[in-house]
Amino acid sequence: MTANTPRKVLITGATGLIGGRLCEVMALSGDLVPRAFVHSTASAARITRFPLDFYMGDLCDLASVDRGMDGCDAVVHLARGDKRVMEQGLENVLRVASAHGVSRFVHVSSVAVYGNSPPPESASETAPAVRSDMEYGNIKLKQEHRVLRHAKRSGLPVVILRPPNVYGPYAGFTLDLMNKIRQGKMAILDGGRNPCNLVYVDNLVEAILLAIWKPEAIGEIFFVTDNGILSWEECLSAHAALMGASLCHISSADFVNPRPVRMIRDSMRILPRVMLSGELRAVLRQIPAFRSIENVLYNGFESMNGETKRKIRLRMNGPHVIPKVGSSGRRQYVRDNIMSAQARTVAHLSDKARRLLGYTGPISFQEGMKLTEAWLRYARIL
Amino acid sequence: MSTMVSHSKTGSSAIGEVRGDIRLGIIGCGAIAEGAHLPAALSLPDVDLTVLSDTSEARLRQVQTEFGLGPIAFTDFHETFEKVDAVVLALPNTLHAPIACEYLCRGIHVLCEKPLASTSKECEEMCRTADESRAILAVGYVTRFHPSTELTRELIQSGFLGVLQSFDYEFGTAGGWATQSGYNLSRSTAGGGVLVVSGSHFVDRMLYFFDSVDVVDYVDDNYGGVEANCVACFRAELQGYSVPGTVTLSKTHRLANRLRITGQRGVLEVREGQSNSVTFFPADVSHKHEIFPSAPATQPEPDFFQLQLLDFLRAVRCGQQPKVNGRQGSRSVLLMERCYQVAARFEETWSTATIESLRAAMPPVLQPASYSGGKTPK
Repeated sequence: MTANTPRKVLITGATGLIGGRLCEVMALSGDLVPRAFVHSTASAARITRFPLDFYMGDLCDLASVDRGMDGCDAVVHLARGDKRVMEQGLENVLRVASAHGVSRFVHVSSVAVYGNSPPPESASETAPAVRSDMEYGNIKLKQEHRVLRHAKRSGLPVVILRPPNVYGPYAGFTLDLMNKIRQGKMAILDGGRNPCNLVYVDNLVEAILLAIWKPEAIGEIFFVTDNGILSWEECLSAHAALMGASLCHISSADFVNPRPVRMIRDSMRILPRVMLSGELRAVLRQIPAFRSIENVLYNGFESMNGETKRKIRLRMNGPHVIPKVGSSGRRQYVRDNIMSAQARTVAHLSDKARRLLGYTGPISFQEGMKLTEAWLRYARIL
Repeated sequence: MSTMVSHSKTGSSAIGEVRGDIRLGIIGCGAIAEGAHLPAALSLPDVDLTVLSDTSEARLRQVQTEFGLGPIAFTDFHETFEKVDAVVLALPNTLHAPIACEYLCRGIHVLCEKPLASTSKECEEMCRTADESRAILAVGYVTRFHPSTELTRELIQSGFLGVLQSFDYEFGTAGGWATQSGYNLSRSTAGGGVLVVSGSHFVDRMLYFFDSVDVVDYVDDNYGGVEANCVACFRAELQGYSVPGTVTLSKTHRLANRLRITGQRGVLEVREGQSNSVTFFPADVSHKHEIFPSAPATQPEPDFFQLQLLDFLRAVRCGQQPKVNGRQGSRSVLLMERCYQVAARFEETWSTATIESLRAAMPPVLQPASYSGGKTPK
């Protein structure tokens, strides 16, 4: 073992999809020792199956992070959370990692840094990422800037990985997709010709493991995707086939774009309904003054003639809308995260990771789907 | 800390000796104490909450402030012996036995959260200590206070379903308790995984329903830590008949979350959360019946932790046995112990099939030492 070969690795976000699998792989292979940084035990069941070195702490508390990193040679930062965790939490981990002199800091970012409409040149990591229309992407981009700034200032050996959607056992992408297919809310957009940037969770784990120790990784940013270019048609059809479903083909015109909120007008329209709702009045009746005012208003309303009362009610509630039985009309699809992703035309390629890290992406899409299917059956989702 | 303690009595008590308000202590201020035991204790008129104990001062302050409590907080439970007649123990599982024995041997009554202890040997010691000092030892299997539990027992034992053919219980959720102490992260503090944490309630009820139960086969996904998923096959005996049953538990995904008991005349079903009734599906007909207890419910939405505490306090005052006593609590620990003794491991291709191909990505020259957990795959 060389002086710089890490042995003990702090994993933040250890109870999540990627962190959980990374802990499992390290435990099952026995080659590296993970320290699982756990914020809440509620979702830790998957990793508690192993006798790991658990540390319960709070990333937003510098002293807690400092204790958690004691004795670790490398850090893989996977934690997600609210604004404080994404900003202060990351800052704390960077500061403590520098102070402890860890041999590597692997920050797992996302291809979302390029937003919903990535430029064609973002096929490679050299394309600059700028603020976009995607909130999550902007948060991840800000994190990347923070990591790189810190590395420049302190000399911390950092590596940034940018995976796309991660699929496989326990993956939110897989569960969300299966759920939408089951509910008939998924369709193939514009022939499904666009590239579906996907990575099987174990392929991403391979890249993380390499990034922990490969000297060539330091200071670099890498896309980590599966081998080859998979189309959305192939991806969606393979998932639909697992439950014996077939998907409709639609064009962009079939999307329903939610009507933009008109702040003043919509508020004025909804306010009277809320004010007159039984639930709100029941709460307000605890205030004696409200009871008196309500009594006066009620008596005034009751003294009106029937026609006036009917008009007021209609004004407040609007007309009754009775849907026709069994005729939901033409099916419409909402522009959600997966539908939006189908409109992305760029394939983010892992050539650089292959060249510098020796990334192989050993699990093919077919193999990944086979393993995913086995888990979906086990978890009673199929 | 030794569990072989034998002091003279320093608490007030022994069965039937408590007059007036009972001085109660809550030992351990984790999520269950805050959410269930403390509200139950504060709601009862003849209970004087005199002690709140936890090793974390910050946690004690937080709970004290939240419930507006006076100066009753102790970080060292040894200081509380003179201040209580009875205690509720809501501690990490492996601390149940040593700390319960410290109270019991002083004649202080104990309502211990489930499971009673980590091993049957510890349970025996707790029961013996309670017997010797004439203290009540009750176990917090709160689902025993659901009317549906009593109803199920009554219906299957009275022959309502005819000869029983099988039973099947499933309980699974994606995630579990967010504990304050993190005791459920390791075997050394939790004593087990989903079987102990989620399954022990049903193991206790199963032993209550049938004359006897033994494990036939048990499989889980533990690699030397605590299991997140398990399937146990049991064989129960009732009135001379043998009834096979399966229990499936998960902390990673949702299951059907119900008990089904199949007999000659139909199926009895109790869904998770169905605490006041049971559902009967007669054989060969398409309708179902909802069966309620004949006695009307005393409250529309009873607090079962309050009923459990009332039962414990009644036992303390009158010398009756509590609904779930130490001996019954010991039986469920023994059965879970038997499950772990015969454990085999699930085959999980999605976990293990790719490990060899990922090994090439590990730093060179490190020696592998994988976790086998001492079990053979099944």
